[in-house]
Amino acid sequence: MALKSGVLIDETALIRAAQNGDDAAFEQLVRVYDQSVLRLAMNLLRSPEDAHDVYQEAFLRVFRNLHTFRFDCSFHTWLYRIVTNLCLDHMRKRKVRKEEPTVLATADGPLDRMDAVQEGRVDGDPQRHLFSGQVRKRIKEVLGELTPRERMVFELRHYQGLRLRRIGEILGTTEEAAKNCLFRATQKMRIALGDFI
Amino acid sequence: MSGKRHEAMSCEAARGQFAMLLYGELSFDEEERVESHLDGCAECRAALDRERTIQAAFDSVEIDPAPSLLRECREDLRARLMEQETRPRRARTGWWAQFTDALMLRPAAGWLRPAGALTLLAVGFISARFVPVLSSTGARGGYQSMGFAEPAASRVRYVEPASNGRIQIVLDETRQRVFSGPLDDPQIRALLLAAAKDPSDPGLRVETLDILNTRAQSADVRDALVFALRHDQNAGVRLKAIEGLKPFAREPQVRSALAQVLLSDSNPGLRTQAIDLLTQGANENVDRQIIGTLQELMQRGEQQGYVRERCRRVLESLNASAETY
Repeated sequence: MALKSGVLIDETALIRAAQNGDDAAFEQLVRVYDQSVLRLAMNLLRSPEDAHDVYQEAFLRVFRNLHTFRFDCSFHTWLYRIVTNLCLDHMRKRKVRKEEPTVLATADGPLDRMDAVQEGRVDGDPQRHLFSGQVRKRIKEVLGELTPRERMVFELRHYQGLRLRRIGEILGTTEEAAKNCLFRATQKMRIALGDFI
Repeated sequence: MSGKRHEAMSCEAARGQFAMLLYGELSFDEEERVESHLDGCAECRAALDRERTIQAAFDSVEIDPAPSLLRECREDLRARLMEQETRPRRARTGWWAQFTDALMLRPAAGWLRPAGALTLLAVGFISARFVPVLSSTGARGGYQSMGFAEPAASRVRYVEPASNGRIQIVLDETRQRVFSGPLDDPQIRALLLAAAKDPSDPGLRVETLDILNTRAQSADVRDALVFALRHDQNAGVRLKAIEGLKPFAREPQVRSALAQVLLSDSNPGLRTQAIDLLTQGANENVDRQIIGTLQELMQRGEQQGYVRERCRRVLESLNASAETY
């Protein structure tokens, strides 16, 4: 059962209906997960355009391959395998070609394109205001310096709140390997933030 | 005290576990060892507080995608899915693929469809005959342990924490009721007309229209068929609607819906049927209004070969130009 806006949905029935060509069921299935998929892509790639591309490609792949889904794992795990692979591809390509930085040099000084994006969980979130712009800038830099896998595990654990066992299932690795990855990521973050906090 | 060894763990080892401790990813024993170390080490307790602050700082850079981006993503996905659906699907070949298609009752199954239907029937019979009935009070917990069957869809109306640590949840449940009666019974008819517009289940709409098609001479049924033909998102439902409207293709309301299908429907099969119905008996007394629709199609550079050829012939037979003036 998936919980969506207070409505309990029989996910298995939805998937089976979508597998049988029910467009409305497929759309409902997309709506159960698409906000978290978009949030994951947006936080990992920090670019609305790339997050949009990942969203489209992920759900198109789901649409094309749903008939191969055999309930061997949860739909969430299956979907996140697709999404995380797409995001990892994006991040690896970006590492190779040092893609367009989010900070642009303008006549008025440096401008971070992501400053235009809504940050923090809710407006007026005290957590957000607790930390200076300098700290947040440093965190963003360090996140960008993590390897794609470290970044992915950190994202899934810290921001998406998934357990390491589930993260291992999604990334096709063991819980232990995911734990090591998270350990390295948090250690790098701690060292990089040493002078700030 | 940094670096000093406690009974079971050094400060360095304890601090190495702080992140996992805060994420709740340590085993019971590992957590016990860290906690035990913390009990006797003020410096490590301070270091743990700092780790908490660092973790809290991470939250400050989390991005919530703008609602407009989500909306745009959904709209683009819908458009791309529609593109996919209008492309012809590659035929599955091989006897096993055709057999499984037959089990799924897909149209490509061909001669194996009866075999698939018989197999499903046999599987159903054997299952019902030999598989033991499952207890509805099994050990699955959740809804069943509360004594009621798992509903297809429920809405949580209230969530309230009770004083004893339990949570009270009030559900609005969908319950099934069975109605039975002849097709001309007003209540049955009203339910069928409502089901014909049920947005959640195209299969239900197809079945319903199949039944209603036998009463298409009634104005209320014909309105429902025209509505489905004009507005239903599912091509299968629209095909079922056009089937029921065939005997009434001369009526203005139906002709108007058929013209809309011809001009804008994405399904080639529907457009073929629409032009056949609109131009049947074209040589005798076809209404002149259809000429404008056909000319518009020709001017747009109609891509579907059959429709284009049929348009051309009908316009020729009516001595009408393929262009408007």
